[in-house]
Amino acid sequence: MSGAPRRWPSALALVASLIGLVFGGLSTLDYSRHLDRQVHDIHCSFIPGLAAGGAGENACRAAMYSPYSALFRDRYWGGIPISLFAVGAFAFFASYALYLLLAGPRAPRRAAQFFGAVSLTPLLVSALMFAISALKLGQYCKTCVGIYISSVLLAVSGIFLLLDARSKGAPAPAADKPEGAAEGAGAGRPVGSLWLVPGWLLALGIFTITPTLIYLSALPSYASYITGCGKLAKPTEPNNALLRHTPAGAKQPATLFVDPLCPTCKAFHKRLEADGIFERLDTTLVLFPLDNECNWMLDRPLHPGACLVSKAVLCGENRAVDVLEWAYDNQERLLEGAKSPAGLATVRSAIREKWSNLDACIDSKDTKLRLDRMLRHIVNNQLQVSTPQLFLGDTRLCDEDSDIGLAYSIRKLAPDLRLP
Amino acid sequence: MKYAGIVGIVAGCTLLAGSAFAVHAEVKSSAERLKTGIAESVKPAVAIANDAEAPYCTPKFKEVLARVIHACGLEGGAARRGCQPADVKTLASISDDDFNALFTPLKDRGGVVMYDDGSEKLDDDGKKMLEELWVERKGARYFFIVARASKTGTPDFNRSLSHKRANSAFFHVGDKFKEPDLDKQVGLLWLGNEFAQLGKEYCEWNVSRKGKPCAAEAINRSAFVSWVDCQL
Repeated sequence: MSGAPRRWPSALALVASLIGLVFGGLSTLDYSRHLDRQVHDIHCSFIPGLAAGGAGENACRAAMYSPYSALFRDRYWGGIPISLFAVGAFAFFASYALYLLLAGPRAPRRAAQFFGAVSLTPLLVSALMFAISALKLGQYCKTCVGIYISSVLLAVSGIFLLLDARSKGAPAPAADKPEGAAEGAGAGRPVGSLWLVPGWLLALGIFTITPTLIYLSALPSYASYITGCGKLAKPTEPNNALLRHTPAGAKQPATLFVDPLCPTCKAFHKRLEADGIFERLDTTLVLFPLDNECNWMLDRPLHPGACLVSKAVLCGENRAVDVLEWAYDNQERLLEGAKSPAGLATVRSAIREKWSNLDACIDSKDTKLRLDRMLRHIVNNQLQVSTPQLFLGDTRLCDEDSDIGLAYSIRKLAPDLRLP
Repeated sequence: MKYAGIVGIVAGCTLLAGSAFAVHAEVKSSAERLKTGIAESVKPAVAIANDAEAPYCTPKFKEVLARVIHACGLEGGAARRGCQPADVKTLASISDDDFNALFTPLKDRGGVVMYDDGSEKLDDDGKKMLEELWVERKGARYFFIVARASKTGTPDFNRSLSHKRANSAFFHVGDKFKEPDLDKQVGLLWLGNEFAQLGKEYCEWNVSRKGKPCAAEAINRSAFVSWVDCQL
């Protein structure tokens, strides 16, 4: 082994940092683009800059909409995307790696040691986010994986830089050095002043936080937008046809219009649960099946079988939310069953298999009448034929605020609702 | 080493400034789009929940229905309930046959509740029919009860009798289903024996006394009841 430190770890660190910067930057730009409250294509590819569709994009969108993608989501619309911190940090690591690469053996040991130590921090954060992807989301977005890989490469390069700094032995004591010998010249590699470390840490902090400050300074105000999506004109139904779900301690009244076989409703429900919102709502549940078997507002079924499943939910009464959540969990199977040649019989069989005690109730005229009354309640309120729709009090949560702006909008529409 | 340090600092500042500029530009661009809003033409059109609209809701049918609804107390908070023969004649502005023809498309949707001679009392079959038809509301907004009486007896007596028949059907629905806003859903018309008498062919419709003798006299001792699937 030669005495001079190897250069390839610095080069690897530079490449890894630049890759991380690109993936972090794309992720941030995707997030920022959604600040207009519309839905846009997102970059979701191992090739930076390439937009993806289908399942790949779904994973990236799921990650973006998840509560783990941003901080302070209830304080700022969309929150502060964590990728912003990655952008700043990777910019720092890239410039630092470039310095180490150019300085080579003349770089102080302390600089390499510092880099080796802090280069592990992106890996720690990536490990945490990877665990969340695996355990909470169940899917991996390619842009995120790009950042994970760059973090691993950066950590590997950092470890090698650290080992290089150690393997050269302790620097010769000053007393042993020849008089007038410059640090780094001759046998010993310069150590560098300990005071440089707080300076570098400060620089890392400034780099990491600056994009966030810039982002926050440019954020528009959303106050006037989130209350402009309509009111529930007639919140009560005179025949008590609506379902109630009132968990202990729930005080915020809310009315939720859902179709048990609507994928968006399922995603919205999961989001409300993941954010700890659903269990804090005193919910009036209104079933709005988008299936022309019972819903006269449609000329074809958007979600075949939804009328039958809605009746099962209605019959669940005190366990209506359990039946609804079962329907969400089995949504694909139920929809496929309804579209199969056996049609509703398949759906009926699936319901019977899990909820055998609901059979008679599902067929009863009272249940049919109750579902009709729910639909009439929707007509009386002149709501849009779409699901889901959530009203906090009597104010509708805009569709545009139901993903990354959810926590912020809920805090504004329901200030008493204390989110975890 | 100094050279490397300077290059590192310059590169770092450049990367940071570039990233910050890109973030700022994208956020500002989103803010601008938020302010200007999405073009109406780009927005997907979303239907608004409404009452059902069946193919039989012809303009003429809806015109007659609208007149009846407004004039017979279903809308506008009018105190009076229902329309009697003279009203219907005036409101409908059509002949007896044309009036009956308007209801022909409701043959499968509605039913004819039959009564005994000179009676407004509902039998069990009549009650059952009313209840079954009531729960088949679906998207309909209005339920019509069009009561009649046979030719036997004076016009005054039959006018009163058909009024009672309309009411007995109305009260039964109210008693059975406890609907709080029934007044705003049910339209009552009593025609006595003066207007739009039914022919014997109506015995083929969905009648409450199936399999029993049915003639022109019997079919007019009745109340035709049906939900009407029209947006008015």
